[in-house]
Amino acid sequence: MNEYFVKIVNVETGEEIERPMTDEEISQREKDDIEGLAKKNNYKKQIAARQAILDRLGLTEDEAKILLG
Amino acid sequence: MANPTTNYSFAMPTNTDLVKDLPADFEVFGQAVDTTIKALNPETTLGDISYRSSTANTNTRLALGTAGQVLTVNSGATAPEWATPSSGGMTLISTTTMSGGSITLSSIPSTYVHLQLVITNYLPATDGTNLVMRFNSDSNARYKDGTSTTNNSQAFNATSIDLFAYQDSAASNGLMITDIYDYTNTTTWKFCSTQVIWNNNTTPANSDMYRIFGMYNQTGAISSITLLPSTGNFSSGSVKLYGVK
Repeated sequence: MNEYFVKIVNVETGEEIERPMTDEEISQREKDDIEGLAKKNNYKKQIAARQAILDRLGLTEDEAKILLG
Repeated sequence: MANPTTNYSFAMPTNTDLVKDLPADFEVFGQAVDTTIKALNPETTLGDISYRSSTANTNTRLALGTAGQVLTVNSGATAPEWATPSSGGMTLISTTTMSGGSITLSSIPSTYVHLQLVITNYLPATDGTNLVMRFNSDSNARYKDGTSTTNNSQAFNATSIDLFAYQDSAASNGLMITDIYDYTNTTTWKFCSTQVIWNNNTTPANSDMYRIFGMYNQTGAISSITLLPSTGNFSSGSVKLYGVK
């Protein structure tokens, strides 16, 4: 399935429609992708920063959890 | 013994009756007894019960109900009746396989008190991808989520609510349950609570988990729910929507 499909399910009738995204939906999808990637990169940065602190302190993840309760 | 009898007024022969009249008197007496007993015991079929009617000494037959029915009082509060108990608990509204770039569950009935979404084995095409949710196809910045028990003065600055976070794209053993409360009211912001466990996207054999609360600052009833990976497509997964009474 290409990346520009949406599935719409009418839960009252059970009817399922799969159709290509409209231009407006593609535009929204692209915004979502940018936002999602930004969140993911931010998360990765947080993980890396946390690991850098642990490395500097010479602590393992488990030791940090014990320390921070 | 009083004659006629005290409770049912059965007329009996008297000690002054002529002997030749006794058979006829006993016929009258016997028939009266028979008629009264039948009026008091109108049951005809296995499982029938009877109850006092508005007519003295005449009960009403109530036929056995059907499987699962319970005995209750009718709407006029005048008599008992068998009725199917109103269904409590959860009703499965729909089951959907995850595919494409988004899934919208539309035309959600407004007949339940709460909704519950159960998502199993969510697998995104892109590694480490969140699963997010929107209501009523609204992609404006009207959402907020948080994992702590107290979040004060939070701005509604997100365009969706996070459900799964950073799910691995190869292994999918995740399970998520989201409760969406009082989704039909038209006076409050909407609120949901999610508990989720998923595969860590660096070490998929390890689990990640959290409990997250989602908020939506609109007061309209929720009639549709859209689920989408925060980037890319779904590879697989299943969504069940339940109505909760």
